[in-house]
Amino acid sequence: MKNKINKILVAGVGGQGIVYLTNILAEAAVISDIPVSVSEIHGLSQRGGIVTAGIGLGKYNTGFIGKANVDFLIGLEPLETQRCIPYLHKNSSIIFCNYQIAPYSVNSETAKYPDVNSFADYLKEQCKEVVFVKTIPENVDSVLYNVLLLGRATKMMNFPFTAETIEKAIQNTVMDYHREKTMSAFRMGREYYSK
Amino acid sequence: MLRQTIEILTSHSHPQKRCVMGNVAIARGAIEAGVNGVFAYPGTPSTEISEVFKYVNDFQNKSEHEEKYAEQTARKIYFEYSINEKIALEKAIAFSIGHKSTMCVMKNVGMNVASDALMSITYQTIMGSLVIVICDDPGCHSSSNEQDSRYWGPMASVPVFNPATPDEAKEMTKQAFLLSAELKLPVIVRTTTRVSHSRSVINYGKINYENHSAKFDRIPEHINIPARTATAHTRLLDKLKSKAVLNLLSENSKHLTLKNSPLERGNLTQFGIITSGVSTAYLNEILHHHTIEDKVNILSLGMIHPFPEQEVLNFLEKNLKKILVLEELDPFIENAVRTLAQKNKNKSEILGKGFSVLIPTGEFSIDIITKVLEDFLNISINKEENRILDNSENYIQNLPPRPPVLCSGCPHRATFYLLKLAIPREQGELLMCGDIGCFGLGALPPLKMIDTINHMGMSISMAQGLYEAFHHSQNGKKVVALLGDGTFFHSGLTSLVNAVYTRANILVVIFDNRTIGMTGHQSHPGASQHLPKYHEIEIAPLLKGMGIEVVETFNPFDIRDGFVKLNKAMSHKGVSVIISKAPCIFLPDFKEKTNKKMKIVVDENLCNTCANHEDVSLACSRGYAPKNNLSRARAKLFAEVSIAGEEQLCPANICNHGFFNSILEGDYKSAVEIVRDKMLFARTCGDICHRPCELFSLQKEAVPIKALKKFVSSIDENFHDFTLPKSRAKNSASLNKSVAIIGAGPAGLSAAYDLAQAGYSIEIFEKENKAGGMVTFAIPDFRMDKTGFDFEAMQLKEIGVKFHFNKSLGKDFTLEKLSDEFDSVILAIGMGKSKTLDVIEKNIPFEKRLDALSFLKAFNTKALPFRDDIESVVILIIGGGNSAIDAARSAKKLNPHNKVIVSCVESAETMPAFAEEVNHAIAEDIEFIHDSFVTECSVSSSKKIEINLHSFVKKEFLKKLECNYIITAIGQQSEQPVFEKIGKEKIDMQGRIKNDKGFSGYKNIFVAGDISSGNNMSVIGAIASGKKAAVGVRKLLENYQHDYEGEKALEKLNNTPLQLSPPNESFRTKWGETRVNVLSEGQNLGRALERFNLYQSCMKCNHCIDNFGCPAMVKVNGKIKIDYSRCTLCGLCIDVCPNNAIRWEIVER
Repeated sequence: MKNKINKILVAGVGGQGIVYLTNILAEAAVISDIPVSVSEIHGLSQRGGIVTAGIGLGKYNTGFIGKANVDFLIGLEPLETQRCIPYLHKNSSIIFCNYQIAPYSVNSETAKYPDVNSFADYLKEQCKEVVFVKTIPENVDSVLYNVLLLGRATKMMNFPFTAETIEKAIQNTVMDYHREKTMSAFRMGREYYSK
Repeated sequence: MLRQTIEILTSHSHPQKRCVMGNVAIARGAIEAGVNGVFAYPGTPSTEISEVFKYVNDFQNKSEHEEKYAEQTARKIYFEYSINEKIALEKAIAFSIGHKSTMCVMKNVGMNVASDALMSITYQTIMGSLVIVICDDPGCHSSSNEQDSRYWGPMASVPVFNPATPDEAKEMTKQAFLLSAELKLPVIVRTTTRVSHSRSVINYGKINYENHSAKFDRIPEHINIPARTATAHTRLLDKLKSKAVLNLLSENSKHLTLKNSPLERGNLTQFGIITSGVSTAYLNEILHHHTIEDKVNILSLGMIHPFPEQEVLNFLEKNLKKILVLEELDPFIENAVRTLAQKNKNKSEILGKGFSVLIPTGEFSIDIITKVLEDFLNISINKEENRILDNSENYIQNLPPRPPVLCSGCPHRATFYLLKLAIPREQGELLMCGDIGCFGLGALPPLKMIDTINHMGMSISMAQGLYEAFHHSQNGKKVVALLGDGTFFHSGLTSLVNAVYTRANILVVIFDNRTIGMTGHQSHPGASQHLPKYHEIEIAPLLKGMGIEVVETFNPFDIRDGFVKLNKAMSHKGVSVIISKAPCIFLPDFKEKTNKKMKIVVDENLCNTCANHEDVSLACSRGYAPKNNLSRARAKLFAEVSIAGEEQLCPANICNHGFFNSILEGDYKSAVEIVRDKMLFARTCGDICHRPCELFSLQKEAVPIKALKKFVSSIDENFHDFTLPKSRAKNSASLNKSVAIIGAGPAGLSAAYDLAQAGYSIEIFEKENKAGGMVTFAIPDFRMDKTGFDFEAMQLKEIGVKFHFNKSLGKDFTLEKLSDEFDSVILAIGMGKSKTLDVIEKNIPFEKRLDALSFLKAFNTKALPFRDDIESVVILIIGGGNSAIDAARSAKKLNPHNKVIVSCVESAETMPAFAEEVNHAIAEDIEFIHDSFVTECSVSSSKKIEINLHSFVKKEFLKKLECNYIITAIGQQSEQPVFEKIGKEKIDMQGRIKNDKGFSGYKNIFVAGDISSGNNMSVIGAIASGKKAAVGVRKLLENYQHDYEGEKALEKLNNTPLQLSPPNESFRTKWGETRVNVLSEGQNLGRALERFNLYQSCMKCNHCIDNFGCPAMVKVNGKIKIDYSRCTLCGLCIDVCPNNAIRWEIVER
């Protein structure tokens, strides 16, 4: 049975196209005539910091995120996905990919990057719908992992929009010269993982 | 952007839904209100408002758009980023006085700069609308404070709107324009980050195309003089009481008539909440999500100054028991409510800051408001359906933080790196005053080059103020100010004028990345970004015009040029300015410069790889360079002499690279330990090694390894500390294998040292009564520290080596016996017998002739056959090797009046003795007769020896000499009978044993030292061959896989005739000759040595991570990898890598 999705959270690292992804999702809501609010936190987004964006669907729902109030999480980077655990609840749906971006603390060996597989196992044990995108087709540019993941997300039970709506939203939001690449990454996300 | 720009300029008679950001909603509100001009200074979270108008301005000014988009270009909207908020507001006021409708946009702290303009204009008058948008930042996401801008309302007596959502933001902006026009007073629209940066659906409606033609009214209000101000103040306060204001207060104070709300049902509860701004949005969501709308009455305030007294009073009078005021930051509304209640004797309990988790700092959140509601309404808000995950703490504790970093390719990183190199902060003595902007990230690791960051433009004032504070105690030492180009024009320039005026001794570094980077790459007067409407101001001539003598501009990616200029600017007394100029990576100027046909690659074999030995289990005492220590990096870029490590290899495999660089880093203890990783004799080699590592170098000058060895080993504390080798021997697992070593010379001792540390049990058999062999007996005491040698040699006892002294091979034991009793035997007995000349043996009586070895041994043991206290004598030395020189110098030491003559067959250039020893001998007045040999000799009646010398080349009579004694020093030979069982065919022409990598080919017997055929007859040659024999033993007994790691250098030593002129004489004499006081001179050793770069790849390297921190460089399994999705091809890492492991490569298509 589908759960009602009030809140979507997109998490990742500056430069991964998080705002870009929320633009598409917000447009999908507008097309579907669902009231939508988006809130982004990106203090220094282009400088490799943490970026999260919340999307509230429905009349009074804001894009602000609280404990256990995220129904659908899209994680573009595993560590940043893990940081979102407090916002998840038992009925949350999660999709996240294995594209690891080591922060300086890990590079300088003052901290350790957490084990991704054990985190994925934990999520699967805790939540009903978890997709861990472990492998990424080689020919996809890393800046398009956001739409690739979106493509895969459209095949999840609780994802609130149809693939057609998302394609329409991409048409409406993405600039002409990026549209084709975006669309093909989105479709690859749908097709590649169905094998 | 084009589509959004067209959209925002398009009027709709039927409202159109658009999902936009709060800031865009404000821009649309201004456009719908008919704004004519916008003045701004960028600053998060306000920037997107001004950006809309920047795009609008660019769009409308393109001639091709006028026809195609007639509607959107019909009414031009002027826009500028002024140089700071004060100028922006002043210009906006003037624009309004010209009857144009105006908006001025800034972030919270911007109004501090602009407030002078605001505080007085309210007493006067504006003509067209003037709306000031101020965006606050509770929680300081991107600001230096979280000041509450609502106070500008009462402070300046201007109306303030405080919207809760993007939709409200747009509507209130429109209202603000109308109100401002009506009151002829500026009106503030104040938002917070969450309103400005939230996106939601708003309606794009009709645009007001009313034409405002410019005019000027010559009225008294435009002249502010004290006589008018008092009455002006009264008039101002009256404006706030006008009908228009009261109407808007009422219109924007909403009783939220939510579905099922108590108000809707006419069923009042006793709880009321007064809220404003984003708190309203939180409240709405929570009440609806948990369907508790019926529990509380809500009054939401949209216009908060003047305070909506009537509306709040109405709410208070609904007989509410408890009133909660929800507002972020200060209790602005709360205090007004309390005053109102007190004035009206209202008895409701008023709660605000201090209640539950409400505090005046930071921003609210769903969680905070939920908790406050639970406490206020005394209910538990149901969370059962969506429970938090189990044991989540385990997965969120200790997650690595992810602070923002400068981008890959950022010119600021290049500048900081250059500053690190040029202005060493190893001791942290320089004060670096930073400023606001991207480059403030330079305060964080790994750059850490900033000591202060304050408000915008403070850097130069901070530097000059600190300079004055320390003026007397630090003797006027320079203080450094760092600021960006945008900040320089914003508020740095005026402070710099003051610095010049007051003769401050400061260095100002302007990080000129050709844009205001942090806020999204806006133009400024110094970087017009090729827009013809702007006149660009060059910084350098501007500053020179101010009288600043040193103004240097460089490209930070050209490190060498920058280094020179920085040093010049640092050494100048007074104000000096450095302009580090290179475009931000987001500008087209940067992208155009990168060469897409190239990529950057890391050579894995050079990155974090030990070039000294393959066997990583071998000891390495080289530590990672202390963080902040950049001596290797500096050496790479700026050294006068660059030498590859492989040119200065040591036959004993000592890592000269690690040794030298440890000294550069001031770590003299590690330097000694690095020597002892490979052999015992740090001080001895410092004294007597003939330094093939220096002589073989192809460069004009070599790193003075020997002198440095002498220097570091002269520090007694380190010299006497053998803890590391001892613990290595102690900790190595015992192999239960025994090795006998015959001969306790440097070869035997070196073999014992390595094997003992590898877990072997070693016994050494020595025919003399102490260890050392030729070093102890043949090297004259004055050439070296014998006590030090004895100490070093005897450390072997401490690591478990057994010595048997006074035991001779052939007399006390046989080779066969040891071979049977031990797992292996190393024969290192040296060449103990001197060669003799028949002509002397036959003609000179025994008491008047000696061989060199006997003479030197007698000299060292003070057992000379002739006395040194009687009158001087003449001594002739035959031979041109080191023993001959040692003998000659010893003979001279006996009595300075002795006449000592050396006769050798070689010329000065070809004699085998070390040049520096010969030089010493010459300096000591020892006479040399080259190209000579003895043909006849006899003893005269006066008991003197008479000698005829012939030329060796021409074979003709040369001269006749008289002397008292004659010493033959024409080389040594072995005592063959003791090892003849090894086989005659194994003995070479000189009586030395042929071998294969030290193995004699006979039983389990290895050879080392002088007895090993072909091995260089020197201390270092002996040590190396001892180590090599030890490797042979290990291969035989424990199947050890590696060859001797010093083989390459040893082979070179064995096969290359030595160069005769020492390459770096001057340096050697400076540091190498005397042990006395060398430590005190050594205080400056590091910097003096930085003229050398001895480079080689090293495993103990973390330089790029510790000091550079490019996000495109990732360490995977100890090696650097380039993350190509982040690499911007700036190429600076190539200069940064001390291992030379990074290079360009052409991309194959």
